[in-house]
Amino acid sequence: MIELSNVVKEYTVIKKKSGLSGSIKSLFKPEKTIVRGVDGISFRIEKGEMVGYLGPNGAGKSTTIKMLTGILHPTSGTVRIGGISPQENRKSVVKQLGVVFGQRTQLYWDLRLGESFELLKRIYRIDEETYQSNLEMMYEVLGIDQLINTPVRQLSLGQRMKGDLAAAMLHSPSILFLDEPTIGLDVEAKQNIRSFIREMNAKRGTTIILTTHDLDDVEQLCKRLIVINHGKVVEDGPLSELILRMAPYRLLVLDLSEMPDPQTLHHHGAELIKQEGLKLTYRFHKSDISASELISGLSAKLSVVDLGVKEPDIEDMIREMYRSSSTA
Amino acid sequence: MVTAIRYHVSVAYFFAKLAVQRQLEYPLFLVSWFLMIPLQYISGVWVLKLMVEQFQALAGWTFPQLAFLYGLGLLSHGLSVIFFIQTWHIDNMVIRGDFDRMLLRPMNVFFQFVVNYVNFIGIIDLIPGFLIFFYGCAQVGFEWTLVNVLKLAAVVIGGMFIRASICTIMGSAAFWTKRSGSLISLTLATMERTTMYPLSVYPKVIQLALTFILPIGFISFYPATDFIGQEDGFTLPVGLAIWTPIVGIVTFAVSHFIFQSGLKRYESAGS
Repeated sequence: MIELSNVVKEYTVIKKKSGLSGSIKSLFKPEKTIVRGVDGISFRIEKGEMVGYLGPNGAGKSTTIKMLTGILHPTSGTVRIGGISPQENRKSVVKQLGVVFGQRTQLYWDLRLGESFELLKRIYRIDEETYQSNLEMMYEVLGIDQLINTPVRQLSLGQRMKGDLAAAMLHSPSILFLDEPTIGLDVEAKQNIRSFIREMNAKRGTTIILTTHDLDDVEQLCKRLIVINHGKVVEDGPLSELILRMAPYRLLVLDLSEMPDPQTLHHHGAELIKQEGLKLTYRFHKSDISASELISGLSAKLSVVDLGVKEPDIEDMIREMYRSSSTA
Repeated sequence: MVTAIRYHVSVAYFFAKLAVQRQLEYPLFLVSWFLMIPLQYISGVWVLKLMVEQFQALAGWTFPQLAFLYGLGLLSHGLSVIFFIQTWHIDNMVIRGDFDRMLLRPMNVFFQFVVNYVNFIGIIDLIPGFLIFFYGCAQVGFEWTLVNVLKLAAVVIGGMFIRASICTIMGSAAFWTKRSGSLISLTLATMERTTMYPLSVYPKVIQLALTFILPIGFISFYPATDFIGQEDGFTLPVGLAIWTPIVGIVTFAVSHFIFQSGLKRYESAGS
């Protein structure tokens, strides 16, 4: 469905020297360096997948999205959407794409929300029936029927984002690219956007590619993660598998009522990693021991007042991915 | 073919409608617009008065002929300000990444760029042009026959396309260099100066350049010589006025080609 192979995007950066003499020197003899924004990326995304495309700032995420959508031409390598190159056959490819940039709107600031939709209806040649039924669906899922006659400049950021999502879905695209769709939104607006994304994927089978820095987005939406750094893919796989491999441990935190006998602290399948007075933290692996086994085993020996199990922290996991790929 | 034309016309019409609506959103803007009308009127009359008092016959052209020439040039200038003002700002659009959205839509980007905006406020720019042109017409005894009116319309529209194409070509440099603003200002200033005076005041080399390289001569000079019956500069077959729309179409095609080649090098904007 979506296929990238060995895609490279290079930029020429002119190094500016400091001072007036430097400026004059760079005018006559510019020092050009070639920077690889994207450095040989390959992956394949099937129809109906929901993929999180992650990476630190400047890793090449937006550049990749822009090459996938035909905005940029790769320096080398090939991009195919449904077997067609978006660079060579832009119009037939972009017809099936919906693209939302969280930081930039495609809606007309000064006009009613509905007017931007009307323009898109004409540009994408959406017939009246499809247009109406898509609009109905957007009203229902996003609850924007009250906003349709409001000038876009009067919408809140969350409402505007809903408007942008609706605008991207009017022509029933089969692939939806979302570049930081929840950026700057409050908790509730984020939840609305997420349930919209899930619904489009479930009801219409829309393939979704999402870049985000919000790890709740990742956890709640993405079944698969592609992580890039310095223009290269560093991880690609199902979220659950990545967690199992990168962050397989869970933590059990116990509060005790009295100081324990050091002899009783050991438990098989778990490791005591921290002891602060009456607070104990054990680390254990899913495959070694279940949480309930460990809890019942320990509470038989210790006077447990309170306890909590901490799931693996995907933030830590992703930080670890970025870090290890940076030093490599 | 018919459906393709209908499709493009309907999109262009809707873009124009939205552009006008957007400008009407700001009442203060409109107020200033109404204030500008008499101001433009006065400035037109003032320029005219200045011309009458200061201008001497130039390179064999009498003053009324010069007014006709200048007025003709201002008319196509006014039209290009209304329909093609976006061609002055390609460099900003490149830097801001404004072509991203157009590239994401299943429609020719050059077409979207051209129809994307109508500067309805720019109508006031036509006022001084009309004043000076009609004054010139009356003075040189321009005959308002049907053929002449049609020719005049073709010349003004052709001139608008020549202006728009030259700005598009210069502006497209931004796809390679990122900045072309100074190039555009230079082009606009050059066009203003060279459409105001007869081309024959310039050295032969410049005349050739303004005919074959940047065909500014066809905006007002050549058609004016044809209308007035002034023998000057080059003589081309079939009446010089007919050449303006032809050159307009050719330069527009060239500007389309250069814009498209530039778009391939478009680098969007980081986000």
